[in-house]
Amino acid sequence: MASRDNKSAVSQSSISDSPLMRILRSRETSLGIVIVAVIVVLSILRPAAFLSLANFEAIGNGMLYDLLMAAGLTIVLILWGIDLSVGSVLALSSVTTALMLRAGVPIPIAIVMGILTALACGAVNGYLIARFRIAPFIVTLSMMAIARGLATVFTSGYYLSGLPDSFNALGRLRFAAIPVPIIVVAVVLIVLDVLLRKWKPLHQMYFVGANPDAAHLSGLKTQRVIMSGYMISSALAGVAAVLMTSRLSMGFAGFGLQAELRAIAAAVLGGASFAGGSGSILGAVLGVTLLAFINNGFVLLDGSPNWQQAVSGLILLVAVGVDAFRRRKERRS
Amino acid sequence: MKKLFYSIYNRLGFHSTALLGVLIGLSIIMRFRSPYFLTWFNFEILFMGFILEAIMAIGMTLVIISGGIDLSVSSVLPFSAILTGLLITAGVPVALAVGITLLAALSVGMINATLKIVLDVHPFIATLAMMLTVRGLAVAMSGGQSISGFPAEFAFLGQGYIFGIPVPILIFIILAVGLGTLLRHHKFFQQIYFIGYDSKAARVSGINVTLMNYFVFGLSSLLAGLAGIIAASQYGTAHNSFAIGAELKVIAAVVIGGTNIVRGGEGNMFGTVLGVLFMAIVFNAFAMSGIDTYWQEIVNGIMLLVAIFMVEAARKRQNRLALG
Amino acid sequence: MGALLELSNIDKSFHENRVLKSVNISFMAGEVHAIVGENGAGKSTLMKIIGGIYRRDTGELKLEGTPVNVDSPIDAMNHGISLVHQELSLADNRTVAQNIFCNREPTNRLGFIKWSELYRMAQDLFDDMAVDIHPKSLAGSLNVARQQLVEIAKALSLNARIIIMDEPTSSLSEQEVDSLYGIVERLRDRGVTVVFISHKLTEVFRVADRITVLRDGELIGTLPTADTSSSEIIRMMVGRNIEDLYPPKTKEVGDALMDVKDLGFRNQFSDISFTVKRGEILGLAGLVGAQRSESMLALFGAAPKTSGTVEVHGKPITIKSPRDAIAAGICYLTEDRRSKGLFQTMTVSWNIVVTSLKKILATGSFYQGRKRQDAVSRLMESLDINPRRPENWVQNLSGGNQQKVLLGKWLFAEPEILIVDEPTRGVDVGAKSQIHLALRELVTTGIGVVVISSEQPEIVGLCDRVLVFKEGRITAELSGDEVTQEEIVKYATV
Repeated sequence: MASRDNKSAVSQSSISDSPLMRILRSRETSLGIVIVAVIVVLSILRPAAFLSLANFEAIGNGMLYDLLMAAGLTIVLILWGIDLSVGSVLALSSVTTALMLRAGVPIPIAIVMGILTALACGAVNGYLIARFRIAPFIVTLSMMAIARGLATVFTSGYYLSGLPDSFNALGRLRFAAIPVPIIVVAVVLIVLDVLLRKWKPLHQMYFVGANPDAAHLSGLKTQRVIMSGYMISSALAGVAAVLMTSRLSMGFAGFGLQAELRAIAAAVLGGASFAGGSGSILGAVLGVTLLAFINNGFVLLDGSPNWQQAVSGLILLVAVGVDAFRRRKERRS
Repeated sequence: MKKLFYSIYNRLGFHSTALLGVLIGLSIIMRFRSPYFLTWFNFEILFMGFILEAIMAIGMTLVIISGGIDLSVSSVLPFSAILTGLLITAGVPVALAVGITLLAALSVGMINATLKIVLDVHPFIATLAMMLTVRGLAVAMSGGQSISGFPAEFAFLGQGYIFGIPVPILIFIILAVGLGTLLRHHKFFQQIYFIGYDSKAARVSGINVTLMNYFVFGLSSLLAGLAGIIAASQYGTAHNSFAIGAELKVIAAVVIGGTNIVRGGEGNMFGTVLGVLFMAIVFNAFAMSGIDTYWQEIVNGIMLLVAIFMVEAARKRQNRLALG
Repeated sequence: MGALLELSNIDKSFHENRVLKSVNISFMAGEVHAIVGENGAGKSTLMKIIGGIYRRDTGELKLEGTPVNVDSPIDAMNHGISLVHQELSLADNRTVAQNIFCNREPTNRLGFIKWSELYRMAQDLFDDMAVDIHPKSLAGSLNVARQQLVEIAKALSLNARIIIMDEPTSSLSEQEVDSLYGIVERLRDRGVTVVFISHKLTEVFRVADRITVLRDGELIGTLPTADTSSSEIIRMMVGRNIEDLYPPKTKEVGDALMDVKDLGFRNQFSDISFTVKRGEILGLAGLVGAQRSESMLALFGAAPKTSGTVEVHGKPITIKSPRDAIAAGICYLTEDRRSKGLFQTMTVSWNIVVTSLKKILATGSFYQGRKRQDAVSRLMESLDINPRRPENWVQNLSGGNQQKVLLGKWLFAEPEILIVDEPTRGVDVGAKSQIHLALRELVTTGIGVVVISSEQPEIVGLCDRVLVFKEGRITAELSGDEVTQEEIVKYATV
């Protein structure tokens, strides 16, 4: 007891909690600095290729799906959970949308059905986790197999192309010269970020993730909150699926393979923790951005494509290591 | 009969007994569907279809009991397959190539353990990052190409027979029985349970937690490396796309076997063997019954859920007994 | 008799904070030595230095006159010093014997464990201690008291000459406390030195030979128990006189607030019927395991019940979850502050407002920052939560301040009936009387408070009326002059 109190006395004196200091010390700030550094280095080394609108648009387009899924993963990580099924749910949702479109279902309905399919997967995940308290790792691992399996069964493993042109055009639409998918994702993320910080129904997730028992005893509807978290995560995968299906003009059961792993990596990089109760949408966005810029830089700097995966893995490794080192130092001081 | 049941039940506990029952039931059903199901020949096929995952599951069991997780195994496998392939085709003697490869695989485990123990990175993230890196290394080393053209003596490891048993199965049996016995009865291995349950308390009891983590992660990588070598030998080729997603199948087999993934310190090798057999039989059942094999993944997913419900039921039972 | 272990000029700082200041203390062979002091006095730090968990900065440890270094728990063990932890750490699904001999199992030359010998060794230990625990039972199947005995057996198996216990009785029932102290006395008779930390002075006076008082990292004094009194010890602990430990009781009690009838769950507890009145503090006394917390949790909707009705202001209400209870004005402050009470990784401010988030909302379920700041600073002021930083993480607060945050969180919900479960467990004397005062002030505003406490002096000192629980039933209702420890013990045990 005494020791704990003493240690705390120290941290109280050393933590300066003025708002400015808190922002400066935050994870988002340090990630932002790293990203700026990467941008500066690339602008110096490859000014023409890197600083072009086309390049930034390409980076943006490449990040879209990962952004949505990293945001979803951030939410389930805040809830002290994990969602391994997002990649498979994306595939199932894509296949559903494509099948509907090929059956002649009107485009808006097909899109809604695709997202609803994803939502249903999330509801099953959430129900099993919240109601029966089964480990999220196992539940979503099962869903990962089941959703991917269903997508494969529905398509027998083939591509579903030949979708209506008007649907395929959606992904290439521009509004004020900005591609519509980028706008959609930006809007979704901004809304989510604001709601998660300021809107009670979503902000409660921090309580539920930090201490589910205390949250329940404090009168929060923990089961409902947990369920909605998994549903949001899946729904975001559904949105990603619609965007991907439209951009690539096909539905495919192989979409989103290992997307969950990239999303987890980005979310954790962005400050979400396996211990629950922490993480932010902004952090997830920065995490995805950093990984995307590094990949982009690798290509621009003429890195051998064969080494690309190894290098991005290595960078993740370094990032995680540096972060752990920093946290350890913080704990000690 | 009843007596036999209870003696089995007391030895194995609720979970393993139930799983054994399911396995026997499945086998009987399959026997009615196909007279070939309960033949040695079919068993060989059935088991060889899951042998790489089975070998990795042995190491994974120890990792999960110790309170960790190792996602990197599925990348160590192709990495090792390619490294052995490259060494052998470069003229390095087979034994030396295998030795070097195992050392390289071991070093992956060492890095995993260092990340977990020294830097305090969550093992999920540490091994996830290693998984991406090592798979990337496999791509880079092979230039994305298949590597083949191995000497005949190398094929023995993956394709040979001893006493009529395929060498990989024999390796699995030796490893499972050997490590299973050690895990149950050996002082050093018993420590894995204690660090899995509460590593701080284990440290206070004088257990070298750092050493144990290096040991379990090292062993897991080593076995994944061995699986990679066997894969190269069995297929006569090595490619970086080997074993994509295998880490999750391995974890599923271990969890179905009753090892507790939520909290360390619980599980045993016999359960893992049953879990591995279960996955292999389901896999095979689909192949034999002519049902669209695409359904297999769905059934695997559902079975994993059923297994975890069983584990939960067993735990509740135990809790009730403890209270009453 | 010379000192077995002598510590001189022990200093320990965590960064700039000096936790122990030149402490000199000696432990005799075969004595029971109690260490007392408020939270933050440095008791646990001192014990952890002896046990090898922390390293001292300066100073010297002498074992039988020889200077020794105790740099790790293993060093400590080798010197015959064992620490029985406050938070028990047995591996649940290993057997008792394996836990005792963890890492020291008898093996053959190849390192394989000799099971029969292992179990025999454990059985011998238990026979020696005269306790009835089966060596093959799983550690997780034992209750806390028995797990503690296993820890002591472990210490004995290490041939410990000094056994250190950190609040050994904090979660034991009175019978279990008795049997534990029986064992402590037997250990002393065999020449083992037992050092223990306790907040409970009655126990200290019952078993200790000598008492050492620490305050703010300094050793105030070591006194033979026979030569001192509890008021002297308290004075030494707090550095001032606490004339009146408890606030005066209420003279006037209002009308009925809540009626509970026939609350029960299977054969665990039954026929729990009582009334809570406006302006009174109702105490629930009894032994640990008398189902007081369980029945109140059932009332609160957080534990199952099979029968019972609740009326608030004469109107029947249905409670299926804590949410329903809170809506009806019934709040429950948990005894398990760490794992069920507070959000350790969130700020004080969020911890306080969580019980009634609707109060800090603007339109459309969006938060209004101003409302939160105002409410929180008001509560922090009135409860004297230190430091006054609403954006500080709760885990950085001392135990007493955390408990005040917990109380603040429920005050924010503006309860009509507040049930508090062990409101001052693990809280230092100063914060304790602040909490008592806060509860007393609370009832003067016209609400009803129900106090569950295993500390009988607290029940007697604080409560206007007391219900005594025994084995899941109410055996007595005491009020006025009947509220004495003797009466409570009579109905709680007989």
